[in-house]
Amino acid sequence: MEEESGGGPRVVAISLIEKATNSTASEVDPRLLKSIKSVVRSSDSELRIAAQTLMDLMKRDHAQVRYLALLIIDELFMRSKLFRTLLVVNLDQLLSLSVGFRRNQPLPAPAAVASILRSKAIEFLEKWNTSFGIHYRQLRLGFDYLKNTLRFQFPNLQANAARIQQERKEREMRSKEILLKKFETLKEKFSSIKEEIQLTMDEIRECLDIVRPKDESVPLDFIEDDEMEEFCSSELRQIRLDSLKEAEKVHENSDNKVVFDALRELYKLLVTRHLVSAQEWISVLIRVEVADNRSRDSMLKEFIDIRNHIQSVKKKCEESGCVLANTMNDEEEDFWEEGKIELSESDSFTAANKQSKDLAKASTSSKAKSEAPECSNKESNGNKRSGRESIESDSTSLRSKLLAEAPLMNWGSFLDNWGSKQDVLANQRGLELEGHWGRVDYDAVIPAEKIAELNIQTTVYKEERVDIQPCRAPLSKGGLCQRQDLRVCPFHGPIIPRDDEGKPIHENSSTEEITLDLGSDLVEQLAKQAVKNVRDRDKEETKKREYDKQALKRAKLAKVREHNEAVLREAAMASTSRSEAFGEDLGATNMDKPLARNKKQTLASMLRKKITTKDRLGQKLLNTRVRDETMRQLTLGEDANYREAFPNQW
Amino acid sequence: MWKDLGDREAGKLRPYSFSNRITSDRIASLQLSNYKEIVSPHRGAVNSLQVDLTEGRYLLSGASDASAAVYDIQRATEYEGGSLVAKHKSIFVVDKQHEHGHKYAISSAIWYPIDTGLFITGSYDHYINVWDTNTTQVVVNFKMPGKIYRTAMSSLATAHMLIAAGTEDVQVRLCDIASGAFAHTLSGHRDGVMTVEWSTSSEWVLVTGGCDGAIRFWDIRRAGCFLVLDQSQSQLGRRPPLLECSTANKAPMSKSFPASQSVNVRSRAPQRKFAYGNGSKQSATGRTSSQAKGLVRQRLHPGMLSSQDRATSHYGAVTGLKVTDDGMYLLSAGSDSRLRLWDIMSGCNTLVNFETVRLQTSKAMQLAITNDSALVFVPCMTAVKAFDVWSGKTAMTFRGHYEYVNCCWLSLQDQELYTGGNDRQILVWSPSRLNFDEMDHGSREEPIHAQDQDNWSD
Repeated sequence: MEEESGGGPRVVAISLIEKATNSTASEVDPRLLKSIKSVVRSSDSELRIAAQTLMDLMKRDHAQVRYLALLIIDELFMRSKLFRTLLVVNLDQLLSLSVGFRRNQPLPAPAAVASILRSKAIEFLEKWNTSFGIHYRQLRLGFDYLKNTLRFQFPNLQANAARIQQERKEREMRSKEILLKKFETLKEKFSSIKEEIQLTMDEIRECLDIVRPKDESVPLDFIEDDEMEEFCSSELRQIRLDSLKEAEKVHENSDNKVVFDALRELYKLLVTRHLVSAQEWISVLIRVEVADNRSRDSMLKEFIDIRNHIQSVKKKCEESGCVLANTMNDEEEDFWEEGKIELSESDSFTAANKQSKDLAKASTSSKAKSEAPECSNKESNGNKRSGRESIESDSTSLRSKLLAEAPLMNWGSFLDNWGSKQDVLANQRGLELEGHWGRVDYDAVIPAEKIAELNIQTTVYKEERVDIQPCRAPLSKGGLCQRQDLRVCPFHGPIIPRDDEGKPIHENSSTEEITLDLGSDLVEQLAKQAVKNVRDRDKEETKKREYDKQALKRAKLAKVREHNEAVLREAAMASTSRSEAFGEDLGATNMDKPLARNKKQTLASMLRKKITTKDRLGQKLLNTRVRDETMRQLTLGEDANYREAFPNQW
Repeated sequence: MWKDLGDREAGKLRPYSFSNRITSDRIASLQLSNYKEIVSPHRGAVNSLQVDLTEGRYLLSGASDASAAVYDIQRATEYEGGSLVAKHKSIFVVDKQHEHGHKYAISSAIWYPIDTGLFITGSYDHYINVWDTNTTQVVVNFKMPGKIYRTAMSSLATAHMLIAAGTEDVQVRLCDIASGAFAHTLSGHRDGVMTVEWSTSSEWVLVTGGCDGAIRFWDIRRAGCFLVLDQSQSQLGRRPPLLECSTANKAPMSKSFPASQSVNVRSRAPQRKFAYGNGSKQSATGRTSSQAKGLVRQRLHPGMLSSQDRATSHYGAVTGLKVTDDGMYLLSAGSDSRLRLWDIMSGCNTLVNFETVRLQTSKAMQLAITNDSALVFVPCMTAVKAFDVWSGKTAMTFRGHYEYVNCCWLSLQDQELYTGGNDRQILVWSPSRLNFDEMDHGSREEPIHAQDQDNWSD
């Protein structure tokens, strides 16, 4: 009967549901949903059919369809009891179709939708369980199974909300308790607090009474009899009155200083303590919730009165002028003093700095080539100008140490902000050239690095003065040649060390050094000498021809080698950093060629940063060798470790 | 129901028939109980369930986590949701922590049939423990040669206290609680014994089903088995009751049965043909049915007949056995997903086609049957199905478990079905509450039920 009569609408319900689930949206069309609900609500048979249809749809092999069907199911589930009873019977099927917890029945195709479907289903299950679980064992079972056996993560919405609620409640409770406690203590201490405040206020009043009467009584008659007629304009008169009043105010002097002090004290106490506490108590009283509202209200009223009273007294105090100003002044003074202390400290510091700078300047200006520490010592010893310095000279050792480290700088404006790492405002020069060149960005900043870069000092190369040795060759007219040439005297050939008569001193001990220094011609000379020697020997020992030949050959080879070596060394000395130290050694050992020596040294120092290809190659070779070495060592170490750790596996 | 009550008052209905009707009505209305819940303490699959036979009050469960628990199913330990849900917590649990507890899964837990003072657990750790319920101590234990699949005690026994144990081993052993020793060793199976069941008609008859697919009947007073069921020996339909006219009290039911049965048989015969695909064999079995009867009668040395000895009743293992209450029929479930109804008297397959879909194959399962042998409850994968014993039609399906169901037990006293599964749950299926029950509590439960009402916002 019913089925036949419901034939038409049944089709409607099914078609509605199918229409609703046949979309790609993430929500069911609300209009369709509403019509589904209204259709289903009208009769139970409709509902049965809808449940059946929805279950069929859940079996569809498409996650989207299942998802939308699940949304509709949820809607109906939350509303209809019959729907619940129908659905709950096949809950395991529904869950396996929506959650997909059975391994042999995974969720169908669009993976993204499937994951949404799963999470939604889990969420729904939790919702259903919390709202209807008590009535449906199946819901409880399904929830329990997913939660405790399969360990699904439920969103735990309700529990979370409940927990948050609980926490908030607890917090409120706690604050309420605190308030209540405060209230209790207030109840106990109320009278004492009131008394205290009253006492201070009374004292203040007394003080004011002492201070006031004079300025109240005097000026009035003063104005009236004297110069009344002079001030016709009321404004002027007012001003006059004020000024008179002001003049007549009792000012602090040695007589009433005690009173003012007391007044200030009390005022401070009143403002900083009593007023604040009164405000606090008022707020506590407003917030607290207690059974006996009457006592609270009365207390509140009293406190408000007290507060008003305090404020009026405060006003009076302020009116009496000196109090507020004085307190302010006091504070300011305090502050100022503190600042002063700091300032003086920093002053002394800067002074010290300046002094050291002066010292530095002095040392630079002085032509003595002594080192910085010596110089500082000398200076500090030399001029003990002020007491401060004498104090500082106690710590000479530290100072000297610092000075030893300190660089020698020329005087310049950069010393003003020496060592500061602050950014500098670019457009703050104190000049008001507003928009002269267009818009100005006043916040533009020159970063500290840039400043540092700008402050790099230029240094002019200063040649060290070297006294060039005179030639000192004996002249025909007697005396020694006084020409000062670097290497070769145009008249007497190369400059060589000579004794007082001008005879050259032969220093064979350091031939090599000489060859090195003198360059290729000297080498050749030496080689020739060697050859000559050999030839001498040749003449002496003519028997050993072959041996001689070999010796000659060797000598030749040696010559070549020597030559090469010399050339290379020369080149290296001219260009590498190492040669400098080498040269210095040389300079120390043989002083006969100081000219060349020095020149080369300076050259070397100038070219210090230059690295030749040779150096680089050497470095590289060394590096690779070292790397190989370390690698080998590392692997060896690892092997050893491994052997130790797993002795049986080795 | 009211009509039946009236009939009973007027004397039109006999008391036995009346109670039968009521119970069958109640069983027909079984559904997942919302107001009775057993809180399972098990952390493994529930393998065995039994309500004690004396009081019908204590449920014993054995689970894979080597724990066994006892619940009071009459009195709840606590209530939830305003006494809507009664929770039954275990009275005690014995598990691995117990000093004599089993080490591995308990496959079978049964009550001592005489009283609730003892219960017996058989486990995969090769031990059968006999427990004192009150002290929860082991009284006797038996070491078996292999994993124990099933233990059974005869509910009829007055002359013996034997525990029949089916194990991995081919031999069925009977353990005597009185002496604490093995009384018998029954050999005949060619593979492990999955299930054992005592006859409900004779205290000496034991039925065993093995992994070799054979179902053997043993008379423990004699050597060897006296009957091996053969699936190829079949008879069509149920034997007509011997004293049809004399058993007038059964009239309404049994009268209806032969008629329907014959119809069933007729309609099913062609189906079977299709199913087996050889009509000749079918006709042959039909012919040999009388012959088989003859064979069965000469019980003396059946073991000698090698042809009969090799007979199988299932392809694959026999996983479940249940003898009907009257001891005339045997239901067997096999790993070939078939349920067979055997006529014990003739030893023939009755060819009832049970509409099982699939049965669990790896574990022994526990079947339950109603008092009047009308319905059999079979765990079919995740559901439990109730089949009409005589027609094989599915009468009810109980869906509630989320994993395989292992066992079910029908409490005959209050017509409740208990099922245990791999999802560690023990579910209670009870008849829907009577109407007057709700009427009594109607006023009180109103506010609670108000929650579960239609809630249409638009």
